[in-house]
Amino acid sequence: MPADFGRMPPSSVPRNPWVVGQTHYQSVIRSGGAEDGTVYRERTTDLYRPPGMADQADFESDALQYTRQLFSAAMRMTRNPSDAEDLVQETFLKAYRAYHTYEEGTNLKAWLYRILTNTYINNYRKESRRPSEVDLGAVEDLYLYRRIGSEESAEAARTTEDRVLDRLVESDIKQAVEELPENFRIPVLLADLEGFSYKEIAEILDIPIGTVMSRLHRGRKALQRRLWEFAENRGLLPEDAEKP
Amino acid sequence: MSGRNCDEALTNLYQYLDREMDSANSERIRAHLDDCSGCLDIFEFEVRLKIVVRERLSEEVPPEFIDRLRAALARESVGEG
Repeated sequence: MPADFGRMPPSSVPRNPWVVGQTHYQSVIRSGGAEDGTVYRERTTDLYRPPGMADQADFESDALQYTRQLFSAAMRMTRNPSDAEDLVQETFLKAYRAYHTYEEGTNLKAWLYRILTNTYINNYRKESRRPSEVDLGAVEDLYLYRRIGSEESAEAARTTEDRVLDRLVESDIKQAVEELPENFRIPVLLADLEGFSYKEIAEILDIPIGTVMSRLHRGRKALQRRLWEFAENRGLLPEDAEKP
Repeated sequence: MSGRNCDEALTNLYQYLDREMDSANSERIRAHLDDCSGCLDIFEFEVRLKIVVRERLSEEVPPEFIDRLRAALARESVGEG
């Protein structure tokens, strides 16, 4: 049961023709790899549907489980709740309309993210339409670790690490991500928020895997540099920590 | 401990943490981490950072939005007749 929708009592759900008998099924995503114990839905509509293509009636139980994840990504893309809600709603409506073209057994989550990302790029982004290879500047590898690790003893370094990781607040991390140029921000979100593989990210964004890797690498380093600044401003670092 | 092994491990740090390495290569890095506390420290830090970032980027969906979303989808399906 999708977490965000599961808490709604069934009686409050409006009559909806594409949820047969108002039954909410445990969603079965065949690409999810459920080899055993999977209960496939028995539906009369299955008889009339081309084999392999998704049934629009399944959309709610299949797709809406990703609402929270899509909304979290949309928040970091649009940087405000109102646009994020509109973006997610538009994504779901587009996905619903196209659901009969979605091939069952392929990666539903990646399919939804592709729609989300394309919708964002086409309709919401306020940055330059032509993606430019924004120069993030040279940032060393292991930026954060190297600075925190400049302590004299391993114990002291460990204490600083714990303090930084525990006390970097949500707003710092969100802001640091939002400040990344879009070319880097979206791959970082797809990898680090969503856990997509490089290949999936390449397909979602229509860029080569090598580009995914280099943007991820540079985006993460730039993120670390910004987090270090936040840590410093919050006084989480020892006085004698190396300055950037 | 060998500098060359450290270089290999650090060069492939993200690919290893992202589970993007084949089993032979990731096994070699895992073996190096068993022997090298310096690299292990770095890998541990990067894992912890990754988890912190992931956890703190997650948003609660406003309940009113869920209602709005459901209504929009219901309208869409009715609209099709």
